Amino acid sequence: MITSAELAVARRALRQLWIGAVVWSIAFGGTIAASAISYVSTFPTEAERQQVAAATSGDAGLSVLLGPTTAIDTVGGYTVYKCFVFLTTIGAIWGLLAATKLLRGEEDAGRWQLVLSGSTRAGRATAATLAALFAAIGVLLVGTTAITLAAAQKPGVGFGTGETVLYGLSLMVAPAVFVMVGAVASQLCRTRRMASSWAMGVFGLCFLVRMVADASPDTRWLRWATPFGWTELVQPFTDNDAWPLLPALVTVVVLGALAVELSSRRDAGSSVFATRDVSDVRTFGLGSPLGLAVRLDLPILAAWCLGAGATGLAFGLIAKVATGAVPASLGDTLDRFGAEGSFVDQYFGVAFLLVATVVALIGAGQVGAASDEESSGRLVHLLAGPVRRATWFSGRLGLAAAGIVVAGLLAGLGAWAGAATQGAGLGLVELLGAGLNVVPTALVVLGLGAVVLAIAPRAAAAAVYAIVIGSLLVDLVASMVAGLAWTAHLSVFHFMALAPASTPEPATLGLTLLVAAGLLGAATLLFVRRDLAQG
Amino acid sequence: MAPVIEIEQLTKRYGQVAAIDGLDLTIDEGEVFGYLGPNGAGKSTTIAVLLGLIRATSGRARIFGLDVWRDAPTVHRRIASVPSDANLWPSLTGEEALRFLGNVHGSVDEAYRTELIERFELVTHKKIRAYSHGNRQKVLLIAALASRPELLILDEPTTGLDPLMERVFQASVREAAANGQTVLLSSHILSEVEAVCDRVGMLREGRLIETGHLDVLRGLVAVRVHASFDGPVPDLTGVEGIANVVVDDSTIECEVNGTMEPLLRALAEAGVARLTTREPSLEELFVSHYGTGSDA
Repeated sequence: MITSAELAVARRALRQLWIGAVVWSIAFGGTIAASAISYVSTFPTEAERQQVAAATSGDAGLSVLLGPTTAIDTVGGYTVYKCFVFLTTIGAIWGLLAATKLLRGEEDAGRWQLVLSGSTRAGRATAATLAALFAAIGVLLVGTTAITLAAAQKPGVGFGTGETVLYGLSLMVAPAVFVMVGAVASQLCRTRRMASSWAMGVFGLCFLVRMVADASPDTRWLRWATPFGWTELVQPFTDNDAWPLLPALVTVVVLGALAVELSSRRDAGSSVFATRDVSDVRTFGLGSPLGLAVRLDLPILAAWCLGAGATGLAFGLIAKVATGAVPASLGDTLDRFGAEGSFVDQYFGVAFLLVATVVALIGAGQVGAASDEESSGRLVHLLAGPVRRATWFSGRLGLAAAGIVVAGLLAGLGAWAGAATQGAGLGLVELLGAGLNVVPTALVVLGLGAVVLAIAPRAAAAAVYAIVIGSLLVDLVASMVAGLAWTAHLSVFHFMALAPASTPEPATLGLTLLVAAGLLGAATLLFVRRDLAQG
Repeated sequence: MAPVIEIEQLTKRYGQVAAIDGLDLTIDEGEVFGYLGPNGAGKSTTIAVLLGLIRATSGRARIFGLDVWRDAPTVHRRIASVPSDANLWPSLTGEEALRFLGNVHGSVDEAYRTELIERFELVTHKKIRAYSHGNRQKVLLIAALASRPELLILDEPTTGLDPLMERVFQASVREAAANGQTVLLSSHILSEVEAVCDRVGMLREGRLIETGHLDVLRGLVAVRVHASFDGPVPDLTGVEGIANVVVDDSTIECEVNGTMEPLLRALAEAGVARLTTREPSLEELFVSHYGTGSDA
């Protein structure tokens, strides 16, 4: 028997989710439709399709970066390949963040306890929230499938209804599994940030395993190990194999049951990983506001930096495999991203575009932490004391900038170490340079986030995520649809040289740094002038 | 005595709504000033302006003769404040939070802090996330009091404290006053204000509707008189200055405004056996002010 309290929990959760679900379903459907239609118009004849397929099929490099390259000679196969990495990544991150927000976030804020004082219990309220999350995924599925079916009406596309629905279902694997990962992380961790970080860790691991799985025929079995692999194995429009959806379903059910069970066994406000509530004094970081920010944010910053290093290392390790047997015409594909030079250089150039994304997202976390400090009322204790606003604000931005520089360096170092073990033959200086090359752009992103923080603190973190992910999508669309190439100018990554493939111009680097400094300075000026957000 | 806080024609607007509207207020050195008002009257907004957290739309506010916005960091070295929202860093222990707040403020009387920790019975090795609201409030109170500032700005600081701790708080405020510290205490708990404040200001919809010493303010509200008689109860019709007369078998209750003399004369003539008077409580004062204006 579902009580009115549980219905209210589900309704409230769905109210927070449905706009995002609708927006993403349009983005999903739009991306798929654009891929399919552009393929039909770019490669109208069978001969051209065979040619592009011959150039890419069996190429490990592209598989590692963008997913499976089988069946590129068909509209469906090409569409699945083009959209795979982006849609599964966005779906997974959306799912896990939504789950940790609605479960641990609510509990962190004390609202969950209010819910539990109503006529429901923790396990049932968790189940009600998960039901709402699945309703949102349902919205995403219906929207995506509907737009894809509409695109299928275009002459030449010719997707069948059944296989389109199967494609939609395969794309829901990542959001559904990662909603559950977020739900379990919310039971394990005491704070929302911690839960999101753990879930992001699982995501990162799955992402890397998927890359390795697509790197060579020997590692192909690893496709069965991750949600991304399951999506890949369905091979909609070509193989139409629904079996890989089964492990996804089992995982969702098991993780969901685990989350519900864990939530019903623990006290409200606590977590499975016991955090010790009693502790001796640790004086580190208690001397100043910046010191405390370092103390509190160091674990998360370190995790991001190591993540960037690991990403670099992973790209380095597979560089040789990825670039081993390169058909001459493949360079053209990467050329569209703006990469030049030898194929290894090109490969790293595009790889560092993904590193840049990771590094730029450090700004999102830090801007979010600053905004949280303000909206929670903790900042008042500092600013009602003798701390200057500009000192606090620039200190936080400085910490974020330091994290960005270290992450860039570690990514370069990781890429070099990985490549060196494979004898891929790229110098340390060259790859460290490539790592540092992403820093100015990441600082511009941080500057944009800081300006939003100085004007509307609550929107700051979301703004940075939107800028970074939006830029990546724009880059994708611009490289894919000839008529939309001009949109690349809207991407923050557009002005970043794809080092080591292309040599960064000192003037461009200087100008980028200048823009970043200008944005950070302007943000500080705006912040010292505005009213503090009142809790 | 020198004014510590000077507020002149202070207005803070959010769009069309004025949270405070043409506020004038001066608080002198060594005063314990009670800032009273119902929720949403503008108490916290006034304090946020005084602390330089938000900017006044118009008017002026100065502390120690310095502008509260422009000279905020300088002013803040000499003051300490306790906000009503006791949000602290959940992963720090009470002791760590106290040390951090002390370091940020710059001046701490360590011995006094230890004494306050004992008085407030705060367990300091627990993490903030394991504290109740009242305990988090204690951390902020101890941090503020231990810095021995010239001015204490307290915004509903006893939310969540139990009655025993409330008394410890009142004693600490009186101690601060005895040391010559100035205190601005915003509250809607009248007994608390009555227990520690010399002077009060009543705020309503962003305007001060009354300020003054408690004695003077009390004079504005009727005194209740209760008289009992052995013989017949006299007829008080026509006696000047009395109202709300309630006559029982052998007792009379009434309210007196202004001088008591006409009533006392009438009661003495009738051979009053027992007479008690009761000063209006701050609560009655409050109700009489807010009660009358609510239909405005």
